[in-house]
Amino acid sequence: MYTFTVNGQVVTTRKKQTLLRFLRDELHLTSVKDGCSQGACGACTVIIDGKTCKACVPTTDRLEGKNILTVEGLSKWESEVFTYAYGEAGAVQCGFCIPGMVMCTKALLDVNPDPAEAEIKYAIRNNYCRCTGYVKIIAAVKLAAKILREGVIPAKSADDWKIGSRVHRLDVEEKVLGFGKYPDDFYMDGMCYGSALRSKYPRARVMSIDASAAKALPGVVAVLTAEDIPGENKIGHLKHDQYTLIPVGGLTHYLGDAVALVAAEDMETVERAKKLIKVEYEVLPTVHSIEEARAMDAPLVFDEEESNVQAYKHVSRGNAKEAIKNAKHVITQHFETPWTEHAFLEPECAVAYIDEDGDVRIISTDQDAYCTFHECSLMLGTDKVKAENALVGGGFGGKEDMTVQHHAALLAYRTGRPVKVRLTRAESLLIHPKRHHFVMDFTMGCDENGRILGVKAKVASDTGAFASLGGPVLERACTHAAGPYAYENFEIEGTAYYTNNPPAGAFRGFGVTQTCFATETLLNMMADEIGITPWEIRYRNAIRPGGVLPNGQIVDESTGLAETLEAVKEEYDAAMAAGKPVGLACAMKNAGVGVGIPDWGRAKLIVEEDQKLHIYAGASCIGQGLGTVLVQMVVSNTDLRRDDIVYERSNTWIAPDSGTTSGSRQTMITGEAVRRACEKLMEAKKDGKTLADLAGQEFYGEYLAKTDPLGADVPNPVSHVAYGYATQVCILDSKSRKIDTMIAAHDVGKAVNPLSCEGQIEGGVVMSLGFALTERYPIDENCKPIDKFGALGLFRAHEIPKIKAIVIDKPGLNVACGAIGIGEITSIPTAPAVTDAYYRLDGERRFTLPISGTPYERKGS
Amino acid sequence: MMAVKKKFPYRAAVVACNGDCPASAGFRCSYGCVGCGNCAAVCKFGAISLNANGVAEVDEERCIACGMCVKICPQQVIRIHECANSIVVKCSNQDRGKDAREVCQTSCIGCGICERTCTAEAVKVVDNCAKISEEDCLSCGMCAVKCPRGVIADLRGILT
Repeated sequence: MYTFTVNGQVVTTRKKQTLLRFLRDELHLTSVKDGCSQGACGACTVIIDGKTCKACVPTTDRLEGKNILTVEGLSKWESEVFTYAYGEAGAVQCGFCIPGMVMCTKALLDVNPDPAEAEIKYAIRNNYCRCTGYVKIIAAVKLAAKILREGVIPAKSADDWKIGSRVHRLDVEEKVLGFGKYPDDFYMDGMCYGSALRSKYPRARVMSIDASAAKALPGVVAVLTAEDIPGENKIGHLKHDQYTLIPVGGLTHYLGDAVALVAAEDMETVERAKKLIKVEYEVLPTVHSIEEARAMDAPLVFDEEESNVQAYKHVSRGNAKEAIKNAKHVITQHFETPWTEHAFLEPECAVAYIDEDGDVRIISTDQDAYCTFHECSLMLGTDKVKAENALVGGGFGGKEDMTVQHHAALLAYRTGRPVKVRLTRAESLLIHPKRHHFVMDFTMGCDENGRILGVKAKVASDTGAFASLGGPVLERACTHAAGPYAYENFEIEGTAYYTNNPPAGAFRGFGVTQTCFATETLLNMMADEIGITPWEIRYRNAIRPGGVLPNGQIVDESTGLAETLEAVKEEYDAAMAAGKPVGLACAMKNAGVGVGIPDWGRAKLIVEEDQKLHIYAGASCIGQGLGTVLVQMVVSNTDLRRDDIVYERSNTWIAPDSGTTSGSRQTMITGEAVRRACEKLMEAKKDGKTLADLAGQEFYGEYLAKTDPLGADVPNPVSHVAYGYATQVCILDSKSRKIDTMIAAHDVGKAVNPLSCEGQIEGGVVMSLGFALTERYPIDENCKPIDKFGALGLFRAHEIPKIKAIVIDKPGLNVACGAIGIGEITSIPTAPAVTDAYYRLDGERRFTLPISGTPYERKGS
Repeated sequence: MMAVKKKFPYRAAVVACNGDCPASAGFRCSYGCVGCGNCAAVCKFGAISLNANGVAEVDEERCIACGMCVKICPQQVIRIHECANSIVVKCSNQDRGKDAREVCQTSCIGCGICERTCTAEAVKVVDNCAKISEEDCLSCGMCAVKCPRGVIADLRGILT
C-alpha cells in the first residue's frame, strides 16, 4: 500500500504503476497528458514536493509521503493568472504541452518571482512544444510572473473579436487548465482498449495467423484479423493501397502493418495477448532505399504493381534546356533532404463506440473528420458511421491518414463496446506518414544581371510503404520548385518510389520544403557568381502583381513577395554592414489544394435553443486556431458579439464537409464559406430580428476555390487561388557560431489574428531550424525507424534564437476578407536561409540536410 | 566565508561516487572517493565536506564551480556540472560488472539498462561506467529509476 497526497487529497494505492497511469486511469486527472511515456516530451509534468517531475517516470512505490500537484490542483487565482497570461501572450496552440508548461511555470515562479529570460527557458527546456517555437510560452511565463507579483490581472489587450484583433484564442482556458478533452481523455463506461499486432518483418508474406491462445486469455474481449473486416480491407487517403489488416497470403509493406487487432479490458492484457498470437511469415527481401526501389531486379513492394514507382510527374513550360544552354551563368548541383518526423505532442488516439442511433461513432484526433468517416465507412461496408474531432494535439500533416481510427471503428463494430486505440510513441514514430526524403539534381541558368533564364531539375522521393499523399506531395514539390520568381523556362521530372520504409506523406510544406532548399541554395550561389547580394538577386527576379510565374499563372494584386524582401532590408543591410554572417531565402506556398481539384469550403451557422449562433464546419482545428479565426470572421461580418457565438468542433452529421486541414487552406476556404453564410444571416436579420427570433434557423455558406488542372490547355492556368510569400533571414553570431536572430517576413494577406499569425511563424521557423540543423529520423537496414522521442533532435526552449516575426498586412483577395493561409510557408525558406548563413561564416557550401559543422550538431553522433 | 556571486546557469561540483563503503575503513574500490579530505581543505566556500562515511559531498548552494576540488582530487572523481541537470551518475568504477559488484553495493556494473532506457540517447556506458551527456539529457530521471544498482541519482531528491 502506497500513500501520498495528490492536489491536497491523501490517496492510497496497492498497484505499482507509473504516476502517470495512476493519475490518468485511476484519478482521471486528464490534464496530465501522455505524450510519450518515455520521459521525453514533458506533457505529463507535475509538481512533486515543489519540483517539476515527468509523471511517466516515478512508480507509485517511490512516492510514499510525497506531495503531488497537477493543474487541477491550482488555486482559483493561479488558474486565472495562467489562463490570462497564456492567452494574452498567444502561447496556446494545440495545447497538448500546455498543462506541463503551466506546471513548469508554477514551480519556477514559486521560488523565483521575477525570473530572467534564461531562467524561464531553463525551467521549460525539458518540455517539448512543437507548435509555438516556445517564444510565446516564454512570454506567458514572464507575464504570469508580473501579474503574480502585482496581484492584479489587467484587461485583455484586445477584446473586440474583429478581424485584425489580437484576441485570446477561444480554447485557451480548457487547454491551460487541462479540462479540454483530446480522445485519450475519454473514459467511457464499459470501455476496453485496443491495439494492433504489427508485422515482424518489413516485407514478408503472412502464411498463417493463430489467435487461439490470445483469445483464450482472460480479459481479452476480441482478437480480429482481416477476415473480420466487413467491407474493404484496403483503404487510403487517395489511393486505396493501405491494408487495415494484412490477410493471410498478403504481403506486408513495412513494420507498421497491422496483422491482428486485440481488444481487452486493460492495456496490460492487450500486450500479453499480442504476444500470444502466432503468425507464420515467409520472409522476403526488402526495398530499403530509392536506389534499391528503382533497380532493374528490385523486389516489388506491392504485389499489385508493375514497378515500385508510386508517382511520376513531369512539369514543363518554355524550353529550359535551351535557355540554360544559352545562359551566361550555369550552376548544377545535387541536394538531399532527410526524412522528418512530425513529432506532434499528442500521439494518435481514437475512441469508437456504438451510439444511440446504432452508428459507429469515432472520436478522433485527425485533420479531417470526413476523411475518417469515408475511410471507416469503406472498411466497415456501411455509412452508419459518424466521426467527430476532439481536441487535436498537433498534426502538421501527420494526422491526415488512418492510423487508429479504422482499428477503433472495427473493434467497436465487432465487440459492440466502446474501444480506445492509442498509439504508443514508438508506434507513432513508426506508423504515421513522414516528410519525404528527397534526392534532387538541379541546374539553373542566369544572365549576367542575375535574371533567371531557366531551371531544369530531376527529383526522386522515398514514399515508403503506401501511397498516402505521396503523389500530391511530389506534384507540389515539382510545381513549386521554380520558386516565386518571374521567368519562363522551367522543367522538372519527379518520381516517388515505394519502399519498405515507413510511409511518407503530408508534412507542413508538402514537398516544397525540400525543393525550395535546392532552388534557394542555387540562387544564393548564383548571386555570388554574379557578384550581387542574395537579397538583390531575389529582388530582381521577384514575382510581382501581374507577373507570370513559371507555371504560367498570372499572379494577382495580393502578391507580396517584394514587400517581404523590403521588410527585411534594413536589418539585412545592417547585419551585412556589421560583417555578420547573414543568410537569406524566399518561398511561396499555395493556400488551397488547387490544380483543378474541387476544393470546397462549407459551413452552417445554426441558431440553437440557447439563442446563440453555432458555427458548424467539417474542418479540423489541429491547433492552428481555426475556431478563433471563424468566430472573428463571424463577428466581422455580422452585428453579433463574441458571446453570441459558439464554435463547434468538426463532425460529420451536422457540420458540412469542408475538406482536409491541409494545404494552408482552412482560414481562406472555410473562412470564405463562413463569410458567405454570414451574408445570409444578416439578410435574415434585416428587419431588426434578433437571434432569439431566428431560433432553429440555419444559414449555409459554401465556396469553391476553382482552379485549373496541371497541364490545362489554357495560356495562363490558375494553379492555385492564392499564394503566400515569405522572406526569411538568418543572422549568425560569429563568436558562438550559433544563430543570433531569425527574421521572418510573411505576406499573409489580411492577418485575421496577428497574434496567432506570429505564433504560426515562430513555430514554423523553429520547426525548420530543426529540419536544417538538428532533426533526424534514422531508419536502420531492417527498415526500422528510431523509436525514441527524445532523440529526434527537436529544438528545446533554451536553444532557440531571437525570432522576429513580421506580418505584412497587405490587402489580400476578395475572399475570406482577404485572409491567405500561413500554416505551411513558415517552415519553407528557413533551411536554405540558415544554410547560406553558415556558408557566409565558414565558406563551406552545404547541400544535405541537416547540415554539418555547426554547434548544433549532436556530439558523438 | 567569502561572498558568493553566482551566474546563471548555475554550476557546481559533483562527486561521482556514492560513498556506499566507508572510505575511512580502508577503501576497496580503486576508483571511488578515498576520503582524503583534500577537496574540503581546498574549498574556500565550505561547499564540500566529508559525509558520515567519510566520502566527499557537495553543497550546491555554496559551491560556485571554481574547480579547485576537481583539480586537487587524487581520484579524479569530482567534476563540474550544471545544477539544472540534476540526474547524475554517482560512480566512477571502470571495472567489469563482476568485479565492480564485489567492491561496492552501489557501483555501476555497465549493464546498459540506462543506455537502453534513455529516450534522448544521452546515456552511454563508457569503460564499464554510465556517462550522461549533459547537453542531450532531458533530466527525466528514467535512468535513475530503472538503474538496478542505485548508481544514478536525482540530486533534487524526488526520484532517488
